[in-house]
Formats: sequence, structure tokens, C-alpha cells
Amino acid sequence: MKKYIFIFKTTIMDSLQYIMNIILGFVTYILIIFIFLNLWQYIYTDPEKLINGYSLQQMIWYVILTETIWFGTRNGAIISQISNDIKSGAIAYVINKPYHYVIYMIVRNLGEIAIKFFLYLCAGLTLGYIWVGRIPEFNPIYIPLIIMILISATLINNFLTMSISLLSFWIEDAAPFHWIYVKILLILGILFPVEMFPVWAQPIIRSSPIYVITYGPVKLIISFSREIFTSVLLAQVIYLLGSFLLLMGLYQKGVKKINVNGG
Amino acid sequence: MVAINVKNLTKKYRVKVKEKGLTGSMKSIIHPKYKEITAVDNISFSVKKGEIIAFIGPNGAGKSTTIKMLTGILYPDKGDISVLDISPTQRRKKLAYKIGTVFGQKEQLWTHLTPYDNFKFFGAIYDIADSDVEKQIEKLTAIFELDDFINTPVRNLSLGQRIRCEIVASLIHEPEILFLDEPTIGLDPVVKENIRTLIKQMNKEYGTTVFLTSHDVGDIEKLCKRIIIVNHGMIVMDDSMNNLKYNYLNKKIVEIKLKEAVDFSGDDGITVLKSKSNNLKLEVDTCKKSISDAMKLIDADNIIDINISNVPLENIITDIYKEGRHIN
Repeated sequence: MKKYIFIFKTTIMDSLQYIMNIILGFVTYILIIFIFLNLWQYIYTDPEKLINGYSLQQMIWYVILTETIWFGTRNGAIISQISNDIKSGAIAYVINKPYHYVIYMIVRNLGEIAIKFFLYLCAGLTLGYIWVGRIPEFNPIYIPLIIMILISATLINNFLTMSISLLSFWIEDAAPFHWIYVKILLILGILFPVEMFPVWAQPIIRSSPIYVITYGPVKLIISFSREIFTSVLLAQVIYLLGSFLLLMGLYQKGVKKINVNGG
Repeated sequence: MVAINVKNLTKKYRVKVKEKGLTGSMKSIIHPKYKEITAVDNISFSVKKGEIIAFIGPNGAGKSTTIKMLTGILYPDKGDISVLDISPTQRRKKLAYKIGTVFGQKEQLWTHLTPYDNFKFFGAIYDIADSDVEKQIEKLTAIFELDDFINTPVRNLSLGQRIRCEIVASLIHEPEILFLDEPTIGLDPVVKENIRTLIKQMNKEYGTTVFLTSHDVGDIEKLCKRIIIVNHGMIVMDDSMNNLKYNYLNKKIVEIKLKEAVDFSGDDGITVLKSKSNNLKLEVDTCKKSISDAMKLIDADNIIDINISNVPLENIITDIYKEGRHIN
């Protein structure tokens, strides 16, 4: 365990070199939030009105928080590194150390997004407070539970994206699959809450990873209830186990296919 | 004591074959064709503890594939491997604690961090107590003379400094075997020499077994007492460096500058390698003709300049590659 904590610490030290890159990423983040702020203000002609159970304030906070999760936890560098390492055979030089490669990459990923997520969270909370005021109905007592749910959400997202990268053991390029995954997450889980979609689509979205990665955790922040918490927690446990087993299974099968040419 | 034991090791790759052009590309999607390449073909050898061995061969001979199987990275198709009495494929993690690897063309260090932070990282990876890591860093820093740049980010180091740090990172856990895959590639002669001295010193002081692959004859000549040559996945030679030199040093290269041309064609034991006006480069097989007999063929007054040397090891190895013959 100690070695993985050290890997986490080392990755944070390494990622501190990229602070300026993270800050430059704020431009797109703020722009998207600004567009949705104006869009929802236009749609909500009466600020007191509720649309599908959401007030204007809740809707804006929903977008800000899902955007924060999306921007703060996405890690293209690690994801493409896994694919590239497999394709180029460079994975061979990483797996010959006394750690489990998959856990090593999970911890590195967490280390890389830790600082980024914290910075985006600070920026998101500040922007939200300036533009629409504090989060309605938010009770700080729930913070530990929300942190737990957010960590699980990040892990599930990690496991799924890493599983997609591991497909490179069998296919030439996993990038199109990443593209599809990210776009589905963006459209169905980030820009609009599930309640905004047609009734027939809602059960599908609620049973998809979107529910446990973006919608569920954010719903808990903007209107916490014991029922939603239990439902999200249960779904997260299932997804955590399922995605972890998928990831490990793919690795165990794929690692035997390592083909290192050259040298 | 045996450090590495390999028996009948075989590794085959399946490589996609594509016909030419766009039609070929389309066909390969519908009916992909593969061909099998035997990278390592039924090789057997063993390495004693404390030995420095050169495992060499031309590009694509199967050297790196063998190293990767010895370190548990690749799974062999056939054969048995035992490294320090551990099966690399079954107990890769256990073996990783006992071996170190340096791949000259691949970085294992974190480039934004300093060598010191990197060494601490590797210490943690190998479950070494903090105090022991500090002692080990201190010791290796002195041996490898890293004092001047131990706190400089790796990305700002020269190639020679980086390779020294790479080797130190591989030694932090005091491995019993060090696998070096072209450790001096791209380095200038002074740094190469420095690295060779350090590897020798480490072998002498800690009894570390060194398994080296390199295209640099200097590395082989100056470090190794035994040499295994592979070609087309097979061992074409496994012998001591002394025997190799003894068997091949029966040939001498004679470079002569003459006043008047002399014809050596038809002389048994003398091969004319190069002839340009009155300058000759001859190869004399001393088993057939002694140097003194060869010299008697030329009038001493006719000689302006003469140089007699051994055949360079590089040429010997190239000949063995080309001949692909089995000495052992």
C-alpha cells in the first residue's frame, strides 16, 4: 500500500509542473458555463418557476458541478498513454516493476487529477456563487458523504476509460471508443439533468454509468435526500465492482498478447 | 551458482501481412492474413552468478525478446526459464525485486522530477525502508558521481548524466542481476568509458551479474568475459572472449605502402583485401603462412611503411553474423 501512496504523491509532484496548462483549460470551462448560464436564464422567463423539478439556481449549479467533474477528472494524457504504450510495446518497460500495472495506472490517474479537480472545484464554486448565489438546500453536514460519492464516481469513470484504453490489445486504435464514451457522457450526463430527457430515455440513462458518474453525485449536492443517496450508493457499488472486474479481466487477458518488436 | 538457466526457449510472433495498395488494405480488413515469425528459436544457455555476459546479435536477432522473456515481460511459447530459481512468467513480481533493467532507448525516470526524487520513488516501489534508501542513494551517488546534478530535474540533464541516473535507479534495490539493453547508445566515447568503468566497479564490489546487449563492440570487449551471439533467433556462438579472440586472432591485417607493386594473388594464406596503386591491405592467415614468411615475399627495400594489426573484434563479430555458424 505504501508504494501506491508514494506513486500518488510522486504523480502530484509531477503534475504540479502543469499548473499553467490546467489554468489555461479554464477558458473553455468558463465559456461553456457562461453559455449555459445565459441559455437557462433565457429559458427560465420566471426565475421562481420550476422546470422538471429544477429551479434556475439548481439548474445552473447542476451544469457548473457536472462541468467541474468532467473537466476536473478527465485525463487524456494517461488514457492515451495506456493505448500508446500497448501499441508501441512500451508497456513492457512499465510492467517489469514490483507493482500491479493496473493499480499503478489508477493511482497515477488519481494523482494527476487530484490537483486539477481541486482547482476546477474552487473555480466552479466561486463562479457559481458570483453568478447565482449559494447552492440552494445545501447542508454542509452531507459533505463527507458527497466526497465519498464523488471519489467513487471518479474511480468508476477511471475504470471505464482505462478499460477502453486496454482494448488496444485487440484493436488498432481505441480513440474512437473514447470519443463515443466522452460524447455520450457530455450530452446525456453533463449539459442537462436526466429529467430533461424524454420519459422513455430516462430509465436507460439512470441505469447507465452516467447516473453514478455525473448525475447522481451532482443531484446529491443540489438536493440531497436519503433515497437518492441510497440509490446512488448502491448503483456505485455495483458499477465499481463491475468496472473493476472488467478492467482487471481485460488486463489479464491482454497482457499475454504483448508483442514487443524491435531492439 | 547459476543465476540464469534457459532451456529450449522459443518465442513466435504473429505478424499481419498486407498486400500492396488500397485493394490490399481492403482485403486485409475482410480476410486478414498473418505470418508467423520465430523471434527466438529453441535456445539454451546458462549464466553464472557474478558473470558479465554479452548477448549480442544483429537487429531482429531476438536479443531483446530474450531479455523480455527473462524479465517476465513476454511469455515464451516453449521452453523453461529460471532466473535466480524463479520462473519469470509465473512470479514476475517476485523476480522484479531481485533484478534491475536499463533499456538505453527507454526512459524510466520521471523527467520533471530530480534524480533524488526519482530514486526515492524507486526505493518506495521496491519496498525499501526510507533510511536504507537514503544510504543507498548516498552510496550510489558517490560511485556514479551524481553530486553535481542530483537535485536538477531529469529533463535538464545531458544524455550521459541521464543514463547514469537510469542505472542508479535500477540499482537502488541492490539487484542480483542487471539487464542492460544498449546502455551506452548515443553516448560520447568519454561517457561510454565512464559508464563501463562504473558497471565493472559495481560487478566487482557487489558481485552483480550483468546481462548486456549492445551493438557497441567497446562495451563487449571492455566489460564481458563471455559472449553469446544470436542470429535469426538461434545461438550461433557461446564462448569466452579469450577463446573468441584466440580462434580469430590467427588472422592479421597487414597494411603496406610499397615503392613498387607486388603481386600476391595465388599465395596461399594471403588475401588481398584492398589494393590501390602501391598501397595494399592484406589479411594473413597465420595458420597457413607465418608473418615472417609473408614478409619474405616483399623486398625490404621496397617497403615505405608497414602496419601489422589484429582483426578488429567488430569485424570478427560481423563475420560470425554473416556466417551464422555454430561454434558450440
